[in-house]
Amino acid sequence: MIKQHPLIVLSPVKKDKAEELDKRLRVIRESLQQGTETEFKKVPTLHYGRFVILDRESFRDEPTVPVSTRLIFSTNHDGDKDNHLTEVVTNITNYIDDIYECCEGYPGPGSRTTENRKSYLEKYSIKSSAFYNGAPGRSVQQIHQEAALRDHIWNYIKDNKWGEKASAVDIHRNIRKEIDSNPEFEWSKQMAEVQGIKWFNFIAYGLLLIAAIPLIIAGAIYLFLFHEIWNKKQTLTLSQLDDKKVNKLKEVEDLFPQNQFTQVAVLKPTFIRRLNFQIWMMRTRVLANNVFVHGKLLNIPTIHFARWVLIDKNRHVLFFSNFDGNWQQYLGDFIDQSGWGLTGIFSNTVNFPKTRFMITGGAYDEEHFLAWSRSTQVPTQVWYCPYPQLSIKNINNNTKIRNELRKDLNEEQAKIFLKRF
Amino acid sequence: MTPLELSEIQAYLLNDYKEMGSSKYYLLQVRDATAAKKFLTNIADTITHANATTGETALNLGLTSNGLTALGYSNEENMHSFSREFREGMVTPHRQRLLGDFDSSDPSNWQWGGPNNEQVDVILMVFGKNESIVENYFESLKQKFEPGLSMVHIIDGKPLPNEREHFGFRDGISQPVIKGSNVSPAGNNNDIDAGEFVLGYKNEYGVYPDAPLVKVAQGNLEILSDNPGGYKNELVDKPFKDIGLNGTYFVLRQLEQNVNGYWSFIKKQTVDENGKPNNEEATKIAAKMMGRWPSGAPLVTHPDRDPGGDNDDNSFSYKKQDKGGEKCPFGSHIRRMNPRDQFEESPAWVSLKLTRRHRIIRRVRSYGEDFIGSAENHAPNGEVGLLFGCFNANISKQFEFIQYTWANSPKFKRLYDDPDPIIGVRECPVTGTKQNFTIPQKTANRVIPNLQSFVTVKGGAYFFFPSVTVIKFLATV
Repeated sequence: MIKQHPLIVLSPVKKDKAEELDKRLRVIRESLQQGTETEFKKVPTLHYGRFVILDRESFRDEPTVPVSTRLIFSTNHDGDKDNHLTEVVTNITNYIDDIYECCEGYPGPGSRTTENRKSYLEKYSIKSSAFYNGAPGRSVQQIHQEAALRDHIWNYIKDNKWGEKASAVDIHRNIRKEIDSNPEFEWSKQMAEVQGIKWFNFIAYGLLLIAAIPLIIAGAIYLFLFHEIWNKKQTLTLSQLDDKKVNKLKEVEDLFPQNQFTQVAVLKPTFIRRLNFQIWMMRTRVLANNVFVHGKLLNIPTIHFARWVLIDKNRHVLFFSNFDGNWQQYLGDFIDQSGWGLTGIFSNTVNFPKTRFMITGGAYDEEHFLAWSRSTQVPTQVWYCPYPQLSIKNINNNTKIRNELRKDLNEEQAKIFLKRF
Repeated sequence: MTPLELSEIQAYLLNDYKEMGSSKYYLLQVRDATAAKKFLTNIADTITHANATTGETALNLGLTSNGLTALGYSNEENMHSFSREFREGMVTPHRQRLLGDFDSSDPSNWQWGGPNNEQVDVILMVFGKNESIVENYFESLKQKFEPGLSMVHIIDGKPLPNEREHFGFRDGISQPVIKGSNVSPAGNNNDIDAGEFVLGYKNEYGVYPDAPLVKVAQGNLEILSDNPGGYKNELVDKPFKDIGLNGTYFVLRQLEQNVNGYWSFIKKQTVDENGKPNNEEATKIAAKMMGRWPSGAPLVTHPDRDPGGDNDDNSFSYKKQDKGGEKCPFGSHIRRMNPRDQFEESPAWVSLKLTRRHRIIRRVRSYGEDFIGSAENHAPNGEVGLLFGCFNANISKQFEFIQYTWANSPKFKRLYDDPDPIIGVRECPVTGTKQNFTIPQKTANRVIPNLQSFVTVKGGAYFFFPSVTVIKFLATV
């Protein structure tokens, strides 16, 4: 099983090159929107990639440490970082050179090599605090292969009329015969490894949580008395947001069945809030690695990849997500399915809707939460996805199709198998 | 539960005027703001509110954001406090993508409300027992509104014949009931907090919906109430006045129905080796797409045949009665528009809660010949269609969400390439994408491939439906 990892490179943009950089990124963005972009797919380990210009204007709230203009390059990639970076700098060299020419410290035109390009990206790459993968272990290649397998079977089922009498088991067998006769699908004879819930870790985490109840209660009371009740009530609503900013965000939304979300927020400056944030990151890490391994993050069934990244001496936090559907649905899902998780994490950032004991208010204060979320969002200059027509549910379903095809199923199981198409 | 101020709320929100055999929506433009405002003062007390006894006629009124500005409610900050969807209107590049208004439905082809049409400021909705009553009533109104307002377009409408839309299906069965509205509860998850449909009341999240407030003094503020959300002008420590209170937003879309194309397409799926279609089978496929039989009977309770008559059964649920979609396909129209207890894979009680946050109050009327299509008879004379209207307090979370996420998105639930077969199909699909309808069976699913679009948008706009008091207030700005 090939593991997926987050890469994030945060490099300083040359003072006089910010506009030029924006222009160059726009060219790539427009070719992506028109469907004429052909470069990114040359990086076979690349799931999602994005370039975002992060400057003072990206911050809705006053940064707690000074910020300059920086370029974010983020990918979700298969396998080890070194190989991925090699692919990036050798297969899309033009992009990398064009873009990083506008950044501080990039090697000059005459002296560029694979090695020094790589070490540049390496030098500015930073760690993610928490990372979620909706289809753990599925490489780009596997996702494409399994989609082709599903399409082939779908066509086969559509064209073959077995009549009422054929049992599900018979049809399942017929499908397997069809696939076996097709050398293109030789690879599918081997079942895909799928990560299960790591129950031991989950239970250990649960026990630890139970053991920590007195501490959690004490912490919640402390936070309530010394922090929460002093937080200002937020009154900003969606209609109040700056039109120009919202329109800039909407310009690049809903072009595909999937969308991206990039956000930057400022942590509340007190030690206890920063500690609380770290604790929530730890919880998210444990849950994302051990429990949320079947395509649902905190019960949200539409996220492909998401991550939190602390930057600027752990004072600011970036959040990235790649998801199915549109913003309204995504944020609605977040509130409906896991408002508590969002509240726990983001209540440690400034001007988040007021919470009580980290449970009520916050994300559940729908109007103000949506406005907070939209106003802390940052326009994404370039966003690439190699499989924009597949939902995360499709991807996970395709793997199940592949694996169930190889199993000897009883009638009930075969019926479930056939329902997957 | 806060009782609604019924004598403030325009009646169309609570009353579908089914007994009014004729209606005309007059789309008007402001020519002279002073005269137009005088007209508002004149008619404010004749606007049919929800506490009025229904007579021979009814009158309701809405405004577009252009209309508000044209009347003189033009302060930027005040206008800015209206919801973004309303302010921008139905026609923007982004909204075109959300609503799927492409090809023949492209706003540039619309008959009204589009970029090539005259600006619409005001909608005057006149209802009456018959057409002559409507026209006489309108003539009397016209004398009052000219020269302040001029006519841009007239949309004729009438109740659906036998409550069936033109494709032939009984319509409007599942309708939310607003809590606090004095209407007897509908049960089965259809009783919804007022704030989902009326501004100034708490919604299903337990908060007040985003409402337009008077940020900068304009007009006679004395007659307005303070906003219930407690938003204050910090400088003077006084609550803002609320012009949304007891108002709501109205979405109107004129949808042409290609009845002949629709039934011909479905019948084509049933032809035998001699090329002869099977009408019974065609009706069944059509019912699978709708989720109800022509009589209205739900497939969940009547999976095999139409019991006939008029059937308004709305007491079913999906998870308990049809988890695998073998009776009512996941992709069917009604299963998408109201997923009931099976919203995603959440537990039933969560699904029910979430569904309540994405409901609309539909106010549809039909236009064209009184024609009820069927597999046997599907060639109406001239254009027929549906005047789709709906009320919601949050256009983005309700109407647009339903249209985009539930109807247009082919990824609804676990589906791959299945848009809503009635209202979500693109005329020219995006290159490389399919448009199917999947019918779950006992064993292998049946697929109706290459769906075609039989509904074309001919016009549309978002309107603000102010309270009676706010109509009076707008006459003073």
